[in-house]
Formats: sequence, C-alpha cells, structure tokens
Amino acid sequence: MKSGFGVFFAVAVTLSLSWLGFVVAPAVQLGSAKQTTVLISGDTWPQQRTGEATLGQQIYRANGCVACHTTQMRQDGIICDVVLAKPGKNPVAVTNLLSTLKLSGLTKDQADEVSQQISDKGGTAETHISATGPDIKNDWGVRRSVAADFLYDAPVQLGNLRAGPDLANIGARSASSLLMQHLYAPRSINQASTMPSYKFLFDVQKIGDAPSPDALKDLPKDAAPADGFEVVPKPEAKQLVAYLLSLHADVPLYEAPFTPAAPKP
Amino acid sequence: MNPADTNQDCSAKIDASCRVPLLVLFNGAALWLVLGLALSLFASLTFHAPEQFSCCPYMTYGHAVAAASDLLVYGFVIPAALGVMLWIFARLSQDKLELPLVVFLAGHLWHLGVFVGTVGILTGHSTGYQWLEYPRAADALLGVAFVLIAISAFATFGLRKERELYPSHWFLLAALLVFPWIYSSANVFIVTNHPVRGVGQAVINWWFANNLIFVWLALAGLGIAFYFLPKIANRPLHSRFWALFAFWTLLLFGTWLGIPAGAPVPAWLPAASQFASLLMIVPIVATAVILKNILWGANVKCFGGTYCYIRFGSVMFVVSALMLVAAGCPDFSRTVEFTWFGTAQAQLQILGFATMILAGAIYEIIPRTMGTALPFEKFKTLQFFASVLGVLLLVISLAVAGIAQGKSNFASGAGKIALMVSTTGWLFLLLGSLSLLLNILVMTMKWKLGLAKSAWAAITAPLADSEVKS
Amino acid sequence: MSEENQSSSQLSNAEPTATRSTVPMWIIVVTLLLAFFGFVYFDKHSGWFDATVYAPYGTADQLANSQPVSDAAKMLIVGRKNFETFCGACHGMDGMGKVGQFPPLAGSEIVNAKGFHRLCFIPLEGLNGTIKVKGQEWSLNMAAMGAALPDADLAAVITYIRSSWGNKASEVSADDIKAIRAEIKTPAQIQGPSLMSIPE
Repeated sequence: MKSGFGVFFAVAVTLSLSWLGFVVAPAVQLGSAKQTTVLISGDTWPQQRTGEATLGQQIYRANGCVACHTTQMRQDGIICDVVLAKPGKNPVAVTNLLSTLKLSGLTKDQADEVSQQISDKGGTAETHISATGPDIKNDWGVRRSVAADFLYDAPVQLGNLRAGPDLANIGARSASSLLMQHLYAPRSINQASTMPSYKFLFDVQKIGDAPSPDALKDLPKDAAPADGFEVVPKPEAKQLVAYLLSLHADVPLYEAPFTPAAPKP
Repeated sequence: MNPADTNQDCSAKIDASCRVPLLVLFNGAALWLVLGLALSLFASLTFHAPEQFSCCPYMTYGHAVAAASDLLVYGFVIPAALGVMLWIFARLSQDKLELPLVVFLAGHLWHLGVFVGTVGILTGHSTGYQWLEYPRAADALLGVAFVLIAISAFATFGLRKERELYPSHWFLLAALLVFPWIYSSANVFIVTNHPVRGVGQAVINWWFANNLIFVWLALAGLGIAFYFLPKIANRPLHSRFWALFAFWTLLLFGTWLGIPAGAPVPAWLPAASQFASLLMIVPIVATAVILKNILWGANVKCFGGTYCYIRFGSVMFVVSALMLVAAGCPDFSRTVEFTWFGTAQAQLQILGFATMILAGAIYEIIPRTMGTALPFEKFKTLQFFASVLGVLLLVISLAVAGIAQGKSNFASGAGKIALMVSTTGWLFLLLGSLSLLLNILVMTMKWKLGLAKSAWAAITAPLADSEVKS
Repeated sequence: MSEENQSSSQLSNAEPTATRSTVPMWIIVVTLLLAFFGFVYFDKHSGWFDATVYAPYGTADQLANSQPVSDAAKMLIVGRKNFETFCGACHGMDGMGKVGQFPPLAGSEIVNAKGFHRLCFIPLEGLNGTIKVKGQEWSLNMAAMGAALPDADLAAVITYIRSSWGNKASEVSADDIKAIRAEIKTPAQIQGPSLMSIPE
C-alpha cells in the first residue's frame, strides 16, 4: 500500500467485518432475547433474581471470583434410554421384544427405531434424553448453559479459568450452610483447596443470650472460633450466598433439551 | 531537517526531539511493568499458602490477578509500544516528532488512567469483564490519552519525506486505528450502565479481548520487529509482499478468533471462531517465512543485546499464535478449554512476545534519545537471560499443567510442582524487569540533574554589565 | 561497545528497506484449501446463525429431532397437524371462525363443555341448521369432516381444540372416540335444534 489511506481502508474493511459479526450481530440477536419456556412444564425461564441475589452478584464481581470460577457448562451430546410406558394389548410379545433389544446408551435415531419396534408390537415407549459431557460427568450440572440462563445478568461473568469448579448450577447442588462454610474456611471442606478464605465477609462475635440463628454451625476444630464465640455472616456474605444459590441451569429448554425427572408425588 | 545537516546530525536531532515524550511514556511503563510482575508474583504465591495470604481483603487473588494482568498490558505494553511507534515514525519520516507536548500531556493522562484503574480494581470496583476491569473513569482517561498520542503519530507520519510506506508503517498505523475502535466499542456496548442484554456482553468481551491481546499486540510487536530486525541485521526485509500478505490475513482472520468452543452462545459464534482459527495458520506461516528470511544466516553476534530480545520475541509470537490455533481445534479445545493452558498462551503473547520486543526496542531507543550510554549495560544482558528463563518456566509449566488439568477433567488443580515452577518464572521475570526500570530511572534522573545543574549555574552566574539596569 | 552496538550505530542513518519478491503460489493454494475445509466445518456445525442451535447440535433439524416429547405433547402435535388440515380452513387456524359463516371454537361453550361426548358427534356426523355459540346464532352446514379420520387422530384433534386458544377442557382418547363411533348406528347429519339434546 502506498499511502496511509490504504492502511485505513484495510483496517476499516477487516475490522468492520468482525465488528459486525461479533459485536453488532450478537447485540441484535442475543441482546433482543426474551424469557423462554421450560420444556414440558411450561414455566418461564429465567426467573428474576431476588434483591439479595442481585446484590450478591455485585459482591461476586467486586471480589473477582470470576478469576478462578467459570459459570458456563459444556455438553458433548445426548444419550437416550428407551422405557416402556404402556405395555398395550400384547404384553407378552412386548416383554419378549424388550429382552432382545438394547435399551440404554442409544443415539436418538437408534432410540426412535427401538420405540417404533415397540409401537409395532402394540406397546408405548418413551425416550428419556440426557445430556452428556465432561462437565456433566463431573456432576456439575445436567445440561449445558445457554444464553437464556444469563438473561438478567449484569455483568455476565462467564469466566475463563477453572482453578475451582464451575458454578453454573451451584444453586442446585449446594446449600446455604455449605456455601457459607466454604467461603469462611475453604480448606475445612476440601483440604487441597487453594481458594482464599473470605473471613472478612464474616464477623466473629461473642455469643449473646442465645446463639445467632445465622451463625455457622459445625465448623471443624481448626476453623472454629474460640469458646463462647460464634461466626456470623455479614450482609455481604448472605448476599453472595443468595446469588450463588440462585445459579441454576437445571431445567430443560428447547436449546438444551433433556427429559426432566418426573416430579415427586 | 536542514539539508546542510549530515545524516548523523539528522538522526541525532530526530532522536532528541523524541526525548521528553518518550521518557514520560517509558518511565511510567517500566514502573508499571515492575508493579505488574510483582503483583503477578504475589498472586502466584497465594496458591502455595492460601490461608496465610488471605489477610488483606484488597489483595485477594481475584483482585491481584486482575490488577496485575491489566498493569502488564495497559501499564506497560501499550504505552511502551506507543513510545516505540512514535520513534519509529519519526525515524521513517526522517523528521522530528510532531506535537511532542501533546504526547507529554497524554502520557501523563495515560499513567493517571492506569493508576485510577488499578486502585479501582483493588478496592472492589472492577467491572467484572476480562481485560476491561478498569472502572469507566479510567477507561475514559486511557481512551483520550491514546487518541492524543495517535494524533501526534499521524502528524509525524503525514510529514514523511519518503512517501512510499515501509511494512512497519502498515502494522503500526493499523494498531493506532484498531485500539480506539475496539476500546470505544467495548465501552459503549458493555462497560456502561445499559450494557447489551445477557450473554451478548460476553461475546463482545471475547471479541475485545482477542483483538487487544492477540491482534493489537501482534500488529504492534510485528511492526516493531520488522523495523529493528532488518536494521540491525543489515539486510532488507524479505519481502514487501510477504509482509503485505501477512498483514491482510492477520487482520482478516485474526479478528474473528476468541469465542470458546463451549461458550453458552448459539453454535455459529464458536463455529466462526474455529473457522478463523483454521485460516489463522496462513498468517502464522507468512510471518514465520518472513522471520526465517531475516534471522536465518543473519550473522549478528548478540549476547543479550537488542537483537536477542527482538529475535526471541518474534519467535515467541509464532509459538504463541500456534498455541492459540491449537486451542481452537475442536478436539484439543475440549481438553484445554478453561484450563491454565489459556493463561499460558496469553502470558506468552504478552510477556514472551510483546514485552521482550518492547524491552529490546526501549534499550535501543533510550540511549539514542538521551545521547548517553546505558548506566547499567550488564543488567540489560542479565534481564534478557532472566526474562527468557522466566518466560519459559512460566509458560511451559502452566501449559503442561493446563493439559494435565484438562485430561483429568479438572480432578486435579494445577499441581504443586507446576505452580512452584510458574512462581519461579514470575520471580525471574520480576528481577529482569527491575533492570529496565533502574536503567531508565537513573538515566532520567541524571539528565534532570544535569538540567537542574545548568539551570542553577545560569541563575547564579554573575550578570554581564549590559544586563544590569543602571 | 559490543559488535552489535557498533554495527547498529553504523546503521543509525539507514532506515530498513524491503525486497519486492512476490508471494509464491503455494501459500495461496494452502489458504484456499483451508478456507474450503473451514467452510465445510462451518456448514456442519454452525446451525446457520439459528439462535436456538447450540453445540453439540449442528443444525436446527438435529435440535428439533432431539426434543423429549411426552405423550401429551405428541398428541397435541398430531392434533394440531390434523386440525390445520381438516378444520382450520373454516374455523380458522386461530380458532376464531369467520364472521357470518363459521362459528369460533375459542371460548365456545360446546367445545369447553365438561363432557366431550356431544362435541365428538359434530365431526363424526356433521351439523345442519341453526345453533347458538357464545350468544350468537349460526346457520350452517357442516359435513362430517372427522368421519374418515382414524380414532387416534380424531381424538388428537378434539384434544387440541379443547386445550388451545384459551380453552381449558379435558383430553379425549382414541378409545373414547371408538366408543362414541359405536353409538352411531346410521350416521345422519345432526339438525341444529337437536344438538343440545345429545348428552354432554
């Protein structure tokens, strides 16, 4: 190129292409996203966070939790199991058929074929779909994260490094007391943890007339306070835990389908 | 330049015109480099004794690592690159630097922005977006400062005598245009009170991060390398058209990388990034061909000199870019995504490629602009070897740790040994960076002292009769 | 001064230059090949910009095929398909009917009746004459549009009608249709005034 204008042209053309593709198009496509419906149950998703949880999101941001934790689950594929729903008019034939078929660990096409074979014999089969992937294998969640999970987040902190576990579904697999204890003394739960202890989110105070209902219970010896003292979470800790408990990615959506577990009677 | 000036005088005049603006930029940059590496070392140490390092709420790992990363890029790499760019433009234009006062002011503005940003992160005002953690006030300062410096660069460029552009011109001009575009876009779309809704913020964040850490650093670093390497090796760059090809393909394909394969976004976004990753092989090959042609058979004896720095940095660009492409391959990305491998690649790009090239360039430029030799020449050599050792220890240990982490499906963390090696790497890098700071500070102090002395002498000199009113 | 410093200070006046060798063909070929394979990958894995397609699904069809379908949902899908084929033209795809011609199904008390018995007779036998729907009188002639449909399909259509557009009434099974069909000895179009004498 012989002139500065040529360089300007090169940059303008190439950068505007990626700007259109990765800034404008997502701003339009993802920025105009609305609530979606959960499969089968028809509930709306996502639900708005409580005030505590919204404040907790800012505590998460201010403390830089995103430096070690991701909140994005991945998925490799789906796996299907075929289950007999109704034996139909010919239960014996259907039972005989079932004993010859592979019923679990199928692809969707294989599952459809097996379903058809069962239908032909008069029975009704149901296909149960589950998501598979390394993150799901780690019991971190039941499906991948999708855009709908982050609709009300500001800022969206997906994270880049897993020095600690993924938190996309932490609300479904943890409880308030466990999270509080983990924040106060991570090594009391996982010896090998390199997470800093966020003791400054808690107060160690003298037990008054009665122990505070919020006090952390059953702390192991090296994390427990002295006799007559209790560890009480500050409002920031409660907000952070409320936020963590609000992190769910456990409902089936059109974009990330799976057969939900039957509701308990 | 006066046509009566000899070539030597002309160069000296050009160098001298850059002195004050470059000192502002380089002094601050060297200080931020030391602070950034010190914070990174501290952050790395917290992994070895997490309980002991949990004392101070301001210095938790989450704060330290964000502040440190931003200090390295916004504190050191960008102002240093801008300073080197200004000098290269002045040299290629065969004319003095234009608007030095603007750069002087803008340099201070930039460093103020970095200071405000760092304090903001450490006090809990981080925005939460990677590579954009500085609060908005700091972003505004940085944006304005960059544009002011770019104005000076464009003015210097516009007054060039030789009208045909040298390849470094393309790369460096592109860098001056790319940063304001991506920075303002990122600030308008996400670092604002009404960001794009939902996960669109993350996509734009990834676009910005890739265009800053990969594309911008590549443009600045390669532009500087393509200037110094042929100059020192006394051979022409081979060739103009290879460089043009590398330039266009870097911009065309490199700007589309950055979306992780497992991201919670519709499939077309990671697929587009993976498509671009595949095509990215082409500019990497083109750059490798250009570098091979300069470096192979160059016959430059170098022991920790500028040529060593820039040669090492350029080769590290090819390595880190290959790591980035590998991390974009569908199967390999499944293993190394969200592991220390990504950190290793980013640090190789920042510390192994950009910092080394910039340090070498600064060591070459500063003595010329000051007109004196480096006060601690040996430290320059020490810094080279310490930095090379530090980069290799840091990157290799984290890359291996990342692959192991991925293969074990996050059952293990980084592993004690890998962390210890990486901490040692940070230590070597920090020790090396002290040399740059020491050299620049001492030269600046000596010069200022000299100015003060001559000013004092002029003030206290007896007045001539003609100057005294009778 | 080291050798390198000597040589660089000797060069301080000469700015670097570049040769003009052209770029060889092989790199262009490599670029085009990579672009081709990359495009094939994009075609297979991108879902072509569909906002609902996420990896591991590559296309919208793959995603649609992987939805877990409960029996109830399956029935509604079949019911909707058949409704739109056989009933929608007159009663409207939105169940609102056509003013002056075909009565609405949305909010109709005949459709929403607690029992489905009377409602099922209409598609099985047809209707002729005047009936009252939502306070309005409709004079019409409807053929037995559902008489030719298999039991399961007609059950699905009736279920779909009874649960769409705000209607909230119970579902109908294939066996129910079979039983009602058995009641009809000789099919004859229902006369308008005698519709309400059929038990619900």
